[in-house]
Amino acid sequence: MTDENKTGLDVDDLLRRALADDLPADVAAGMRRRIERVRAGATEKGAPAGAWAWLFRRSVWAALAVLMLIAGFLLQGARSRSPLADRILELKAAAVNFETPRS
Amino acid sequence: MAETEKYPTRGQAALRWLLAAIFFSAVGASGAFSGLMNKAGLLYLVLGSVAAALMGFRGPEIATAFRQAAGQAGSAESLGRSAHFWEAAARNAWILGALGSALNFTIALGTPSDGIGETSVRMIQAFLVTLYGLVLAVVCLVPAVKLSGKAENARRQGEARQTAETGGPARAAFRAVTPDRIAGYVLFAAVLVLSVFLLVAGLPQTGPLPIAKVLLHWPAILVVIGGAIALALFMGAGAGARAWTLGFAMTGFVGLLTGLIQALLGFAHRNIGEIASACAFIISASAFSLLGLVAAAAPLEDREIMDGRRDKPSALSRLFWVVFPLLTFIFLVLTFIMVVTPMTKPGG
Repeated sequence: MTDENKTGLDVDDLLRRALADDLPADVAAGMRRRIERVRAGATEKGAPAGAWAWLFRRSVWAALAVLMLIAGFLLQGARSRSPLADRILELKAAAVNFETPRS
Repeated sequence: MAETEKYPTRGQAALRWLLAAIFFSAVGASGAFSGLMNKAGLLYLVLGSVAAALMGFRGPEIATAFRQAAGQAGSAESLGRSAHFWEAAARNAWILGALGSALNFTIALGTPSDGIGETSVRMIQAFLVTLYGLVLAVVCLVPAVKLSGKAENARRQGEARQTAETGGPARAAFRAVTPDRIAGYVLFAAVLVLSVFLLVAGLPQTGPLPIAKVLLHWPAILVVIGGAIALALFMGAGAGARAWTLGFAMTGFVGLLTGLIQALLGFAHRNIGEIASACAFIISASAFSLLGLVAAAAPLEDREIMDGRRDKPSALSRLFWVVFPLLTFIFLVLTFIMVVTPMTKPGG
């Protein structure tokens, strides 16, 4: 419960006790509006908040990061082909041919 | 009295900058160092530094830093912030220089050539961008040192804190997206694309797609991004932007060492494929770590300081900003040696 809600409930409780028998109509209406607003806020935030909370959950990112790390090292360990590695391979091969001693 | 003292100081500062500009122009025009010219690299570094400044600082903060470097007076806090701007500019120039070398190096290797000799010359020219970055960093460190000294003196004199010089009081709330930052990121992306096009212009190629493919070595990208996120999460929100600096630098360092060990094993096994794969990993890991440092971690740290959430960058961040680009340069030299060193068959 937030501080604001707690303060609101304290005030409502005070009013209820002070005016136990005859709660003024505008105060009662104010209390109803406040309850409606809280309920509406909760239902509005509910669905998207769940999805966003899941997306921004630290454990999801941590798992994703570790998976990326492992995949990167595995790909590198398996010497997966890449255009840059192929070009370096060509150059190394050319350097070998260039340096082959003539007998 | 203070006003009369201010004008000679400004005049002297302007005169010093003018003399320095004349000296560098004369050296450039003399042609004595024509072998040290890489126009695309120089353009990338200057425009990239402007973009990096915009990513971390707001327009009024940059203007104040320039005015105070030219001799304008200010409060201790304002002078301290301007000193941080110049320190950040020096850091950006140094990191961008190393990043430019890594990108240049990749393009030199990735474009077809007449042989190892031509590619070697292109790879050596790639190192010039680090040299430019170092020179620009030294130029930016001069006002940084001067202003931090002034700020220290002002603090000692017990000057009242004023924050109006930077366009208003320090904002406690962090606004992640500002027009300056968006402009900075757009300009930075444009500079990278423009530099690649300038570098490949005139070289034989079959279109821009092969260059894009050469620049993306996926194992290195996965390791750098995954490692940086994992380390930043492990350190938690309390570490702030420093977590990202540490994440990118440490992951980059791990990538460099992994690549070096794999390459050495390739030499031991006399396996050219393994060496080529390791060299590609070293170049890409260093490039993407530097990109993460300059485009993500450094601007976040700058905003923390300029928004008053931290007094200065941590010693560890400063260490990584200096050491990691230097390590990149050393590893690129090692890669160059590994690429051009021929392997002979055993018993041949």
